Amino acid sequence: MAVYKRTYRRYDGPLTPQWSRFLVLTRYSLYTLFDSRPFTAFVVLSAIPLLLSGVLIYLSHSPMARTLLQLPGPIIKIDPKFFRQVLLNQGWLAFLMTAWAGPGLVAPDLANQALPLYLSRPFSRAEYVLGKMGVLFLLLSAITWLPVLLLFGLQAGLEAGWFKENYWIMGSIFLAGMLWISVISLLSLAISAWVRWRMVASAFLFGIFFVGAAFANMINGILNTSWGHLLNLGHLIFGVIWPKLFRVAVDAAGANPHARRPHLPPGMVALAPLPIPLWQACMVVVVACAVCLLLLNRRLRAREVVRG
Amino acid sequence: MNQAGTGAHMWITSQPWRLWGHQIMAIVRQELKHNFFTRRGTWIYLLAFGPVVVFAIDAIQTPGCAPCSLDEDTSLFAATFQLYYMRFGIFFGVMGIFAWLFRGQVVQRTLHYAFLAPLRRELLVIGKFLAGALMAIVLFGAGVLLSFSLVYWHFAARGYDYVFHGPGLHQLAVYLGVTALACIGYGAIFLTLTIIFKNPIIPGIAMLGWETFSGIFPAMLQRLSVSFYLKHLSPVSAPSDGILALLTVVTEPVAVWAAVLGLLLLAAAALALACARIRTLEISYSSEQ
Repeated sequence: MAVYKRTYRRYDGPLTPQWSRFLVLTRYSLYTLFDSRPFTAFVVLSAIPLLLSGVLIYLSHSPMARTLLQLPGPIIKIDPKFFRQVLLNQGWLAFLMTAWAGPGLVAPDLANQALPLYLSRPFSRAEYVLGKMGVLFLLLSAITWLPVLLLFGLQAGLEAGWFKENYWIMGSIFLAGMLWISVISLLSLAISAWVRWRMVASAFLFGIFFVGAAFANMINGILNTSWGHLLNLGHLIFGVIWPKLFRVAVDAAGANPHARRPHLPPGMVALAPLPIPLWQACMVVVVACAVCLLLLNRRLRAREVVRG
Repeated sequence: MNQAGTGAHMWITSQPWRLWGHQIMAIVRQELKHNFFTRRGTWIYLLAFGPVVVFAIDAIQTPGCAPCSLDEDTSLFAATFQLYYMRFGIFFGVMGIFAWLFRGQVVQRTLHYAFLAPLRRELLVIGKFLAGALMAIVLFGAGVLLSFSLVYWHFAARGYDYVFHGPGLHQLAVYLGVTALACIGYGAIFLTLTIIFKNPIIPGIAMLGWETFSGIFPAMLQRLSVSFYLKHLSPVSAPSDGILALLTVVTEPVAVWAAVLGLLLLAAAALALACARIRTLEISYSSEQ
């Protein structure tokens, strides 16, 4: 048949069910990510701290192994604090992974005006975001809460009666992991949609957490307050929300060695700035996520008005 | 030996230094015009002037500051300078400024115009570096100057005495000098990273880690970080805290001239590497973004 006679014909092949269409994007994005050998190596390396934690759990329950290694007594107490610490370590690895992979998911589509091509398919904007976020959710879950739950299972299997007293930690691990994944995924997608340049998006993501923390400490130090922490998303999640989830004591949020000491008459002791309350931390995190969704809603359009 | 000396002298005198100077100045002017005041750079201004806002709020909250102590506020400013400006503010600001110099042109697909111009590529690197350094020094220098002024301004007469009849003015000069050196040192390294790597942020973050934790390494390795020299130049030392304070390897104090020279040599080595790399740089716009 001559090429000019090939006119429009409706696709009559099998259709992907509506509910799972976003997974097509997830699948192809994952293929692209794992094409990079350094990225694959990073994913493998991020399992090392988990393996070490598993060894610690095993050693703390095996007197024979401890005797063999000439270690005196139990090495570490396996409690909610332990699981929080393991999840925290994995959380920072997840952050690095997001800074690497996240901006590359959306920015190239926007920079190369590829979004109309996606949205001309039977595919909504929400499904596009869901598909891209699915990549991060799968990857980050695989190195955060999922393996930590396996460690929890290992501990529960090794110590009789422990599960009955600590089953609630499973929920804490899941919720804490999902909270962190949601926040960093939304941030990375929103920033990359906003700046449209992978490199700058990665830098912004680091800036939000590192410069935010430095700025927060500076405010707390100079103004002798703890309100500065409201700018520090890392502290709000790891230092306020997670301790509540894991039922461990909140670190003194206002503690700052560089803070100006209030000058009081002799005999009076200054009160330390109060830690940030849970509801305020939650509100800031929700507002940050809402702003990210608004940015995505504004930037991810099938058409674009180009200025100048 | 004499022949070699004569050869070097002849090579030096035969180079078109005046033309190169004009070309570098033209690049500096062009870069300053395009990049100094832009909406894109808003976050860099925030990094530079954020502490100014906080110190201004403090000054307004405690006018006259009768109960405050000069020593304590001097130490507070030193901590802000060393922990905020040196470690994060200048680091990320300079990263933004210098990464944009080359990679920005790649994103805008205009770098080939610069490469097609009858101009040595090394001069392009030097011109862009000078423009970036100038921008960073002016912005962060102004931030440090304003913060310093606000710290002592709210002490009224006591602050005036401390600055103009005490050690204040000398401290301010040193802070500004350290800011300039930080911009030059970090700038040279970031410019080199943007030329070597497509995405310089990941090596940049590795560098942030190195700069933060280099204090726990032996003295010899510490000399390979910018913060080592800057730390020794700071007029007031900030108290260190946390686990890093326990692990820090205390090095012998370095003379001011040695610290300045060491940092400038580090920057020169990084720039020389960038100049060598740019000669073989090929542009591939399609693989960016």
